[in-house]
Amino acid sequence: MHPSNHPIDHYLQTLTRRQLFQRVGMGVGGFALAELMGKDLGARSVEPLSHFAPQAKSVIYFHLVGAPSHLDLFDYKPALQERNGELCPKEMFEGKQLAFIRSRPTLLGTPNEEQYQFKPCGQSGIQISGLLPNLQSCADEMCFIRTLHTDEFNHAPAQMFMQTGFGRFGRPSLGAWTNYGLGSLNQDLPGFVVMVTGQYPGAGNSVFGSGFLPSVYQGIEFRGKGDPVLFLSNPKGVDSTARKRVVDAVNQLNREQLHGVGDPEIATRISQYEMAYRMQSSVPELQDLSKESTPTLEAYGAEVGGSGFANNCLLARRMVERGVRFVQLFDQGWDHHSSVFGRLSSKCKQVDQPIAALIKDLKERGLLDETLVVWSAEFGRTPMAQGGDASGRKTRVGRDHHKEAFTVWMAGGGVKPGYVHGRTDELGYGIESGPVHVNDFNATLLHLLGLNHEKLTYRAFGLDQRLTGVEEHHVVREVLA
Amino acid sequence: MERRSEVLIVCILSRLLSFFALSSIIHLHDAFHLVAKVDFNREIRPILSQNCIPCHGLDHPKSELRLDFAEFAYQGGKSGVPAVVPGKPEVSELLVRVRAQDQERMPKKGKALTHDEISLLEQWIREGASYATHWSYTPPVRPVVPSDAPQEFIANPIDAFVLRKLHQRGWEPSVPVSPEIWLRRVSLGLTGLPPTLEQIDDFLAEDSPEVREQVVDHLLNSPRYGEHWARQWLDLARYADSNGFQADQLRDSWAYRDWVIEAMNADLPFDRFTIEQLAGDLLPEPSLDQRIATGFHRTSTCNIEAGVHPEENRVNQVFDRVNTTGLTWLGATLECAQCHSHKYDPISQEEYYQFFAFFNNTPLEVENKSGAGVSFDFWGPKMELPSSVEEQVKRSALQDEMDQMKRELKLEEKRSEEQFAAWKTRQAELLKQANELDPTWETLIPLSAKSDGGEEFEFLNDHSLLAGGKSGNFSTYFFRLQGQAGTWNSVQVETLLHDSLPSRGPGRNYNNANPNFVLSELNLYLEEGNHSLAFVRAEADFSQGGYKPEHLFDGEISKRNGWAISPEFGKPHWVRLELAESLILKEPTVLRIEMRHRYGGGRNVGRPRFSLSERPLPRTSTLDSRLAVLLAKPNRSAKEKKELRDHFEKTYPKILTLRKDLKRVETDYLKCAPPTTLVMVEMEEGRETRLMSRGNYLSPKEKVLPGVPKVLHGWRESWPDNRLGLARWLVDPENPLVARVTINRWWGQLFGTGIVSTEADFGAQGELPTHPDLLDWLAVEFMEGGWSMKRIHKLIVLSSTYAQSSSVTSEMLEVDPSNRFFQRGPRLRMSAEMIRDNALRISGLLSERMAGPPVYPPQPDGLWRQTGRNEPKYLAARNEDRFRRGIYVIWRRAAPYASFVNFDGPDRSSCLPKRSRTNTPLQALTLLNDQAYVEMALGFARELVSLSPGYSLEDKARIAFRRALTRAPSERELSILLSLRAKELKRLRSEPKRVEELLKACPVIEIDGEVDRLELASWFFVANALLNLDETITQG
Repeated sequence: MHPSNHPIDHYLQTLTRRQLFQRVGMGVGGFALAELMGKDLGARSVEPLSHFAPQAKSVIYFHLVGAPSHLDLFDYKPALQERNGELCPKEMFEGKQLAFIRSRPTLLGTPNEEQYQFKPCGQSGIQISGLLPNLQSCADEMCFIRTLHTDEFNHAPAQMFMQTGFGRFGRPSLGAWTNYGLGSLNQDLPGFVVMVTGQYPGAGNSVFGSGFLPSVYQGIEFRGKGDPVLFLSNPKGVDSTARKRVVDAVNQLNREQLHGVGDPEIATRISQYEMAYRMQSSVPELQDLSKESTPTLEAYGAEVGGSGFANNCLLARRMVERGVRFVQLFDQGWDHHSSVFGRLSSKCKQVDQPIAALIKDLKERGLLDETLVVWSAEFGRTPMAQGGDASGRKTRVGRDHHKEAFTVWMAGGGVKPGYVHGRTDELGYGIESGPVHVNDFNATLLHLLGLNHEKLTYRAFGLDQRLTGVEEHHVVREVLA
Repeated sequence: MERRSEVLIVCILSRLLSFFALSSIIHLHDAFHLVAKVDFNREIRPILSQNCIPCHGLDHPKSELRLDFAEFAYQGGKSGVPAVVPGKPEVSELLVRVRAQDQERMPKKGKALTHDEISLLEQWIREGASYATHWSYTPPVRPVVPSDAPQEFIANPIDAFVLRKLHQRGWEPSVPVSPEIWLRRVSLGLTGLPPTLEQIDDFLAEDSPEVREQVVDHLLNSPRYGEHWARQWLDLARYADSNGFQADQLRDSWAYRDWVIEAMNADLPFDRFTIEQLAGDLLPEPSLDQRIATGFHRTSTCNIEAGVHPEENRVNQVFDRVNTTGLTWLGATLECAQCHSHKYDPISQEEYYQFFAFFNNTPLEVENKSGAGVSFDFWGPKMELPSSVEEQVKRSALQDEMDQMKRELKLEEKRSEEQFAAWKTRQAELLKQANELDPTWETLIPLSAKSDGGEEFEFLNDHSLLAGGKSGNFSTYFFRLQGQAGTWNSVQVETLLHDSLPSRGPGRNYNNANPNFVLSELNLYLEEGNHSLAFVRAEADFSQGGYKPEHLFDGEISKRNGWAISPEFGKPHWVRLELAESLILKEPTVLRIEMRHRYGGGRNVGRPRFSLSERPLPRTSTLDSRLAVLLAKPNRSAKEKKELRDHFEKTYPKILTLRKDLKRVETDYLKCAPPTTLVMVEMEEGRETRLMSRGNYLSPKEKVLPGVPKVLHGWRESWPDNRLGLARWLVDPENPLVARVTINRWWGQLFGTGIVSTEADFGAQGELPTHPDLLDWLAVEFMEGGWSMKRIHKLIVLSSTYAQSSSVTSEMLEVDPSNRFFQRGPRLRMSAEMIRDNALRISGLLSERMAGPPVYPPQPDGLWRQTGRNEPKYLAARNEDRFRRGIYVIWRRAAPYASFVNFDGPDRSSCLPKRSRTNTPLQALTLLNDQAYVEMALGFARELVSLSPGYSLEDKARIAFRRALTRAPSERELSILLSLRAKELKRLRSEPKRVEELLKACPVIEIDGEVDRLELASWFFVANALLNLDETITQG
């Protein structure tokens, strides 16, 4: 081959299908995946690797790190308010795994003050707390699951359980599985982007890691400070022209090598250097909010050149517009073991407006139908009061971790709008009807993306591994539009 | 939006997929279908394992039918119909069912078997339906080395096995690689570093088989060898420098990392290497090193977030230890059997927990330090590492001092027992009195008054004493007063106002307009016998910040230690002092009071008045109420007893002083504490192990004893049933797995893929070996050769197989794309650490310093974002630590070193038998822009410009190229580099500012004043390009 031939053409000529999977590190598992999906890759055109028609093309996933009190936001419990201060029934305490509470606690109802009042919202009449006035106006777009339950009751394991289906390290995250199954719709941006406000989640990068999947599928963090993507900017003294020259020289030399050695890996390397160079302009373009209209900026509460949660919400929309498959926002500060009502109120003020603005913005742009918005956390909070901190000192009243039942919601991308699934008991402790396990929830999210959770597998450690584990789990059909 | 490719984030994807519409499909199994007779392990077991065993296996088989062993299959299930009748496919129910088209069809779920699969099953049954033991569970036997092959390719038996396989397929090996590339390959393969220019030149001067062997011996003996090979082992050991989870605090375990490096450099036989890591602590009189080695299983992650349940954390750590042991030594995924018996491999849930029992006897690793609340810290056995003689002497002296003080303290505590008892009685009494007694004050009648500062006193009608005349700088007042009969518990001093005092008082300050006073000390005596009366508590209506009433009796007489009342001037004040013991006066008695003022400037009290009260000071603080609670308890817990004792000790100066001194010495001692490392320790009394239903520690079922899976080799009576016995069992020569698994992993690192490509799974679901005879020959050679790692590595790298060119033709790429048959030499992207080390060596910056605490090379700010308490800080090293090898770089699980992550470096949270090897744009950005690589490029450029002026530009470019790639450049390659340099030089000339910016951003790369900075910067771009080449980061 002469170097003037495009190396990618050469690459294509020398690859087999099996090798495609191997060279991206998928190995036999990926090969098996293609077969299990029942689609003959050789016969199909350039459709996504879906198992059936997807409802959602992209996901914007909010993980409220620390776990907000769903009882004071989404799961209205008048009985709990009435019985506020009573000792909780024995069965809510004895033999239960609680993180902080060590003696039989009292019941804690939502305060009767004005700002905490629930009200039926929209046509659907779904009850949402006055702490979220903007989201109240989105009720008819939202689809609630009030009966999610998890296996873990400490933050880090529960965060991993929620995101990877496993309470310990080593498994790929939901975003990584999605990226593995569907990839990015944009050649110049990663398929899975993560943004973090506040502290990192306790489980660290594992909540958006790739586990045993090849690391190309992990979430790439877009940072609020410094380079949005690590190592994106040229070093001091190196401008764009110089950078282009170096990349060109590198690729000329790589082509020489490709010519001599014939390893398709070199062709990939060449294309990655070209993409890296393009990313140096596509990422700053993505991050630049100056072209957004003033009303849009104001609706989100975002600032040109700023950073923070509101900016991230607007960036999430821009990413989805540009074809990023999975955008995940982690926001820390919801772990209210003490002073739950005051702190909940101030946290809600930070997120209510931008999330509601995002839903409305997506809707106006016709993107909501193909974008799945998710509000979730690692668990919920107890209907019982907690009055002590980690060292046992008395504090103002808070709520402990609660794994038996909590509320998450979705909007857009194929979910039933203005709908509530499942019912908790009158005190909000346990589930009365419609339980949804974390793995059921994740199966549902994959389903909405057109992926069958039992068929999206990867061979590792002797098993065809999947996000939802080896037990049987089900898509929550009731929430599908 | 156009629907484009979805599998990858790589940009070429859509083009690839459209290509696949045209490409033919090749199954991996095709490669094996060459033998006529059906091979059970190769052809039948995979079908059964994938389709049948999940339901008809060990655990609750459906219809009571098992197909995992011959006897069960022949016998049939509940129905009594044999599933398999040897020799008679037509009556074998298995065949009937897999062929069925209706609801009888097996497997019930999933796809039907293919026509080929059914034919194979039929042939197998016709041929006698023999079940062979799964290949990897049969111990390896040394196979005969093929001797019929042409000798020119055969450097050692490895080549004979490889060549036979190639010839079976009608292939020939590739040509040998050029000598310099062989040298680079073997240097990188054994030490992770490229050869230097001198080494290349020396080697090229006299290449021969003997010289090659010398080169290999030299590399094997280099300390760099252990540093390189330790990386793979530390991935298995999930070695990191932090806990993982919420706080992800750092902890010291680096001595274990150094132990692995040393063990590999010393070629510690693999059986001992195993025993010492798993059970070094249980060996008779273990050496320091043997104990350090047990750090292997202390690297488990540990959750210390508030609210964690320590037992759950411990059980999770044991799960991790079991699973890591299985993956590392047995190539087995035991994990599946944690919740239920293994679906594919013959390991029952009971056997899992028998294995678990070996690891179930180490202590909890989180502790609740305060004993209250739900806050936890990392704990677990640590061991001190040896330190220098001076440090030891100093420490031992401090240790002696501490011991002495502790003895004194103990003695004093004993001595104080009586007083403690009295104190408790008195406190109870005082509490009662404080609440119940009458709060009236009985005024003391002054008898005489004088001052050493020159004051004169006027006796006023209200029995107060008005100071007049000169105000002394530091005055002490002496009063004699008449006390009435009664029982007295407190004394009051009022400081009253008077028109004669400056601004009416209450003090007599003459320095400025503030009528303040500072009363330093107050003493009370019985005149008879001059008996001093002690105070224990104080209360004032007001006190100035830092001037507390307690200062009046603390024995310290200094300027700023007293009671004062600024800015509350022009108001009367009072201070009340409680007596340590009740003062019982049977008749009116003379008392003496001394008031000392030591602030100066006449800050003396203007008009004091004194009185006594029967009532002690009020008990209103939370401390008092807590004391009341404690005293009222008839039975106190140990914790409460200690609390009470602490209260008492506050009134016992000798103990207080002793404690303060002890604390100081302890701090000094800790400051010169030697470094520590985490080790395994067995508890004196082991735990009982029970099977856990669904892996849940809250659902214990039947009791199990330590044991190993029955499918593997047996247990010897002479082995102890603890970790030591387990380790001996693992490296027993009868173990069919350990040697194969270990060899295979090394082969995989050198060739890219193991002989068994599923390096972590040698079970029924794993891939079969491509060269079973080669694997077994190497395994036996390994065991019989004294478990020497270096010996096997030497064999492999000196083989002709390893010395082949890695160039590949389109034809070979089509039939063997991933080089499973080793028809060509390996060509692999380096690991994250190698990429760093290689670039450091090329740039001339590499530090060869070994061992010690982890190092911090530069990385972007803000990556160690807070994840919890006691957040450690990332401060990039500015000394040679900045340029040390990747193996020493700090590994924080929540945020591993950023450039490593981009090159598939794991977070080391769980055992990882093999890293992925990806190719991404983020890797390009890392090598182009990461500060670490920018510094390396500049260092590299510095080397080039410092070459003697005799070298031409071409010479320099050639040298640069050879440093990076070992081989000489072609003319075209040379011209690409020189053209880049020329263009950049031209631009830099017109923008010299950029040169300064570049150099200023890399202050650690010191530039000699003589150096032409423009020249340097132009070479920087050449160096930057060279460090980014695919070939540079590839072992080719």
